[in-house]
Amino acid sequence: MIYVHIPFCDSKCFYCNFCSAKYDEKIKEKYFKKLVEEIKFNSNKYKNITSIYIGGGTPSSVNEKYIKLIINELKNNFNIDKNAEISIEANPCSITESKLKTYKQIGINRISIGVQSLNNKQLKIIGRRHTKKQAINAIKIAKKYFNNVNCDLLIGIPNQNYLSLKHSVKCLLKQKINHISAYMLICENGTKLTKQIEQKQVKVASEDKCVDYYNKIVKYLKGKKYYRYEISNFALLGYECKHNLGYWNLTDYYGFGLSAHSYIDGFRYNNTTDMQEYLESKFDYQKEEISNEEKIEELIMLSLRTQKGVNINELKNLGYDILKQKGNVLNSLKDFINVSQNYISIKDNKFGVCNQIILDLLP
Amino acid sequence: MEKRQDRIRNFCIIAHIDHGKSTLADRLIEKTGTVSSRDMSDQILDSMDIERERGITIKLTPTRMFYDYNGEEYILNLIDTPGHVDFTYEVSRSLAACEGAILIVDASQGVEAQTIANTYLALDNNLEILPVLNKIDLPSADIEKSRKEIEDVLGIPADDVPCISAKEGINIDDVLKQIVEKIPSPKGDTQKPLKALIFDSMYDNFKGAICFVRVFDGKVKIGDKIQMMKTDKAYEVTEVGVFTPSMKPVNELCVGDVGYICASIKNLSDTKVGDTITDAENPCSEALPGYKDVKPVVFSGIFPLDGSKYGDLKDALEKLKLNDASLHFSPETSIALGFGFRVGFLGLLHMEIITERLEREFDLDIITTAPSVSYHVFKTNGEMLEVSNPSMLPPVAEIERIEEPMIALSVYTPPEYVGPIMDLCQEKRGEFLDMQYLEKTRVVMKYHMPLGEMIYDFFDALKSRTRGYASLDYEVYGFMPSDLVKLDIMLNGETCDALSLITHRDKAYQRGRQIAEKLKKVIPRQLFEVPIQACIGGKIIARETVSAMRKDVLAKCYGGDISRKRKLLEKQKAGKKRMRQFGSVELPSEAFISILKTDDEN
Repeated sequence: MIYVHIPFCDSKCFYCNFCSAKYDEKIKEKYFKKLVEEIKFNSNKYKNITSIYIGGGTPSSVNEKYIKLIINELKNNFNIDKNAEISIEANPCSITESKLKTYKQIGINRISIGVQSLNNKQLKIIGRRHTKKQAINAIKIAKKYFNNVNCDLLIGIPNQNYLSLKHSVKCLLKQKINHISAYMLICENGTKLTKQIEQKQVKVASEDKCVDYYNKIVKYLKGKKYYRYEISNFALLGYECKHNLGYWNLTDYYGFGLSAHSYIDGFRYNNTTDMQEYLESKFDYQKEEISNEEKIEELIMLSLRTQKGVNINELKNLGYDILKQKGNVLNSLKDFINVSQNYISIKDNKFGVCNQIILDLLP
Repeated sequence: MEKRQDRIRNFCIIAHIDHGKSTLADRLIEKTGTVSSRDMSDQILDSMDIERERGITIKLTPTRMFYDYNGEEYILNLIDTPGHVDFTYEVSRSLAACEGAILIVDASQGVEAQTIANTYLALDNNLEILPVLNKIDLPSADIEKSRKEIEDVLGIPADDVPCISAKEGINIDDVLKQIVEKIPSPKGDTQKPLKALIFDSMYDNFKGAICFVRVFDGKVKIGDKIQMMKTDKAYEVTEVGVFTPSMKPVNELCVGDVGYICASIKNLSDTKVGDTITDAENPCSEALPGYKDVKPVVFSGIFPLDGSKYGDLKDALEKLKLNDASLHFSPETSIALGFGFRVGFLGLLHMEIITERLEREFDLDIITTAPSVSYHVFKTNGEMLEVSNPSMLPPVAEIERIEEPMIALSVYTPPEYVGPIMDLCQEKRGEFLDMQYLEKTRVVMKYHMPLGEMIYDFFDALKSRTRGYASLDYEVYGFMPSDLVKLDIMLNGETCDALSLITHRDKAYQRGRQIAEKLKKVIPRQLFEVPIQACIGGKIIARETVSAMRKDVLAKCYGGDISRKRKLLEKQKAGKKRMRQFGSVELPSEAFISILKTDDEN
């Protein structure tokens, strides 16, 4: 698995705390040059790569020549599986037919569009620059070139109620997309939206309400055959995002670009989050060994996010016999989890308290 | 040697709280050049952080000073003493090591409750009392009035009383002169066998237990064989020294001296404060009278937050006990809190100080249960139990009656606060006895009141209702039968023993409601709904519910988030670990503290 980070955006959304910002063209040029250098630095032609994910930021906001450059460089330096899933993130403002054509041509086969909402007022409040119309249009042209299209949605943004949320979902389904990521809004420290909420300039639904919306949407989507395979991810059968499933199964991955992380053979490598530092980087990554105990924690934390749940035997192989050591806890949580022969998973309507369940199941 | 003894003065400073003891001590030290001005800090004898922060003295601290008087050098040994009512015991300990006492009276406040109490203590110990009027620099100082109070209320002649300002350093010399002129030199015979009183002790990791002593007869030096008269344990002296105020080794301690003795004493319990140290080979015939054992009046359960720290808590309490003879403790087990101790205190401030010292000096995280008094429970089978832990109360059917400790309370106040104080005392089930004008602007009100009522927020309420003008004094005088009930708190249907308390039946409903409301605020939402019920003998009198948690989820977690999210999870896990598991309910330690504070919100 390979992740490539494109930290460029034409503007910063009010809820965003990702590593992204507006930069001028010169920096972009330098950045992609460096990115190529980094890919070469990590070159491993024997490594079979089953998925590539180009995320950001807004990858669609940069000239498509850069994307082409990167994909080609990856092909030159790694053994990319011929059935590999290759995704790119895009936003409705920057998608153009010519870009989509290029993406398709270089082998990208999945596109993820940051729609967030289909209510113009809500879009404005959270700092998105597109309108409902632009978003629908973007989906339409994406569908022209790609079968596999995802749209991101936010639950719990200011001014939203269940009806308007459901309306957004309905509109998306009409476009026959096959994947939806619906995220409950996280008010991260330091974002503009968090400040506005603290200063009571805008109002968001209570946490309890948010979970209600979420549970109702889960049900609604299930009725439309979009099943939830992870807390925030819904897909028609067979259209799950392989790349993201890889993260939740603790698969090794390379991460290239500003702020990207890699996880290879039990070590996690962090790239700098400072652009200038990255442009001068000699790729002496900050390296962190993931201990066995941390591996257990991560496996529980990540795989309990999925519908399938955590593999009991895998935990056992790491030295954690959860059935034996947590018998009482498992029993007291019987309203919250399913325990089958090989898996422990969270019950359908209990994902809202996922963290609490994870905490109880940690060694 | 006779001559040396004549030039020693042993004295302490007594006063009402906040009348300026520690400040005067600072000035005396400064004036005699005992501590170089470079090392001088405010309240130099208050070495504990808590003492400096709160501006109070808790532990008595000795120091030795030199003073030139008529061309001769005198040794002045000062023992600073605490002023709060809870620490009267500490005062009486220092008094026994002295021949005189400086009695400070705040010239703007006059004679106060603790001024009187401490004067009587000093008189009981046959000390020469040296009154001093302090804070004469304040605009509100009334020297004549205060002088008259000393003569009228205390019966001590005060015509040549030094009028000083310790803060501004005015007339400090007068005090030093009077110490030499008026306080008698120590009696005792240097030829007689060693007889030294242990008035305090502390533990040092390298030197073992260190005894703070006053030598009454004989002398002691390194290599001497000494014996503790009460415990009969014998040791060889490894170091003797004086307080400058830091500990400084000297060759020997002679009759009249105040200093310390180290003798590689490993066992803390072998150095009993109040015991007499004598020469092992040539013992004195009779021990010094020592101190009477004080009885604790307030009890509370103290538990380690982390159950595995029980041993550390035990060590810490033992070390504090060495240093604070008034501390009593015995092991206790609670269903909710595990293994801990029931600890007896002299009062609420004492309790506060001890818990704070456990946390600061020993770096322990502890949970304290609501304070309780010791009840006399008479059972139907004629047995009498002393119950200081509500969960040890026998079943109602077996109880014939319960008696609670009563105090005789004196409240000193300007007359304008008489009304509010009467209201307060009535709320606290006080029985009015008497009211007297000490003078035009000061009244003493006398009450009988259950001690159990006073250990909740009485001090704070009194202060806030009298804007800090009233002061009080009390002593336990006996026990009285009372209609008392045990108030239990049930969480998720199970009684949480650490939250039980004994209260008067008339107040049970109100307290039950307050506690339930308070708990609802401090118990975080959990996966399950948590009903909180207050009940008396199985009958539910109040109910609140902590509704189940609905949302605690990370919306996103992809490759770049994993490390950060795992660290957040570990933090959350550590937070959870600090909670007490009670059945299926997780209780934060605030839950146990919060029931102490319910009265605050009235």
